[in-house]
Amino acid sequence: MAHIIKILEGFSFIPRNELTLLEALEQEKVDVEYQCREGFCGSCQINLIDGEVTYTTDPIAFIPEGKILACCCQPKGDLTIEIPGGCKLKKNRL
Amino acid sequence: MFFGRNVNVSRYDVQKYPIFEKLIEKQLSFFWRPEEVDLSTDRRDFAALPDHERHIFLSNLKYQTLLDSVQGRSPNVALLPIVSLPELETWIETWAFSETIHSRSYTHIIRNIVTEPARIFDDIVTNEAITKRAKDITRYYDALIEGVSLYHQLGEGKHIINGEEVNISITDLKRKLYLTIVSVNVLEAIRFYVSFACSFAFAERSTMEGNAKIIKLIARDEALHLTGTQHILQLMADGKDDPEMAVIARELKDEARQIFIDAAEQEKDWADYLFRDGSMIGLNRDILGQYVEYITNQRMSAVGFEPAFTIKQNPLPWMNSWLNSDNVQVAPQEVEVSSYLVGQIDSEVQSEDFSNFSL
Repeated sequence: MAHIIKILEGFSFIPRNELTLLEALEQEKVDVEYQCREGFCGSCQINLIDGEVTYTTDPIAFIPEGKILACCCQPKGDLTIEIPGGCKLKKNRL
Repeated sequence: MFFGRNVNVSRYDVQKYPIFEKLIEKQLSFFWRPEEVDLSTDRRDFAALPDHERHIFLSNLKYQTLLDSVQGRSPNVALLPIVSLPELETWIETWAFSETIHSRSYTHIIRNIVTEPARIFDDIVTNEAITKRAKDITRYYDALIEGVSLYHQLGEGKHIINGEEVNISITDLKRKLYLTIVSVNVLEAIRFYVSFACSFAFAERSTMEGNAKIIKLIARDEALHLTGTQHILQLMADGKDDPEMAVIARELKDEARQIFIDAAEQEKDWADYLFRDGSMIGLNRDILGQYVEYITNQRMSAVGFEPAFTIKQNPLPWMNSWLNSDNVQVAPQEVEVSSYLVGQIDSEVQSEDFSNFSL
């Protein structure tokens, strides 16, 4: 089932089912920090305002309360998230 | 985790914090050797670099050599005598071991690009810009190591040592321990990243790429170590492990925060030293300074501190793709998948996997 992801001070979109949250955000050209992309560095933390996620792999990084690791989670239902530093769109790089 | 009953049999059947086991397994799956990376083109590249860029490159290597000398040794010396969980003990050993690989890879790089490696290594302990910062890195370790060794010898209480009165208390040692872990977190979270940025800036212009490949592997390890110290800090601040530690974490909050800020300032000074003879293409003192502030903010909020700087946006967006260890473009014959585990095939079969079959 499709879920709606709402970015605070940004926009809403419906991601493809098989993508992790990080991949989905990247597809929407949202600028998100990342490093390892497998849940151990903790760079891709974003704030979870509302909703629930499931983790595709067990994250090793420490995740403070109210945060989620975008690189290894998928939405379980509709989500409201906030990107630290604000929702900024990527400029196209060649 | 620390200052409890000493570790006895290395058994991992009952674990208080399974996260350390996960860290160990991850670190083991990362195993690599510097000799795997071919540096023959780096030698040519290095010879073609202008003098001020050679200065940047070599100074960074020297500084990293020093950092990893500290990190390859000190966690074992300082933390093993006081650790009280076998899984944490093994994590510390695994962690320190991987730092020794880093040290060996610096020698590998330096041996490959210059004819007289000894001159470079000798300079590490005489170079003022390096030794100035070395003091701040080792200060907390030294205090902890000294305190713990006196504690083991003499126990708690007042003692006269060489005519000086020394008061040894567990609470005081725990304070020293907390500050040490914070400073280690800073070392691996901020200090390393200045050198990483320079190495990747060289590689962005397709020069010194072998070096960048090694640095990528090192950066991946450091990201994991960083996670390790963040977990330790959070467990301490949480207080479930040791209620006294939570009190200490609250008391020392300002001092701990200051360690982050001081480190950021020192790293900015280091950027001054690096670029004293001129900037390199794609990186200068100001951008590197902004990057230090940016990364410091990130690391501070990761351990629950209020960020200290105003910067919000990453001034070096290309760093992310370099720090991500799995997307290097390499020639097919050179591809080494950087993390692979033996026996990674998914052998679990569920009954619904057969749902498409019919007899």
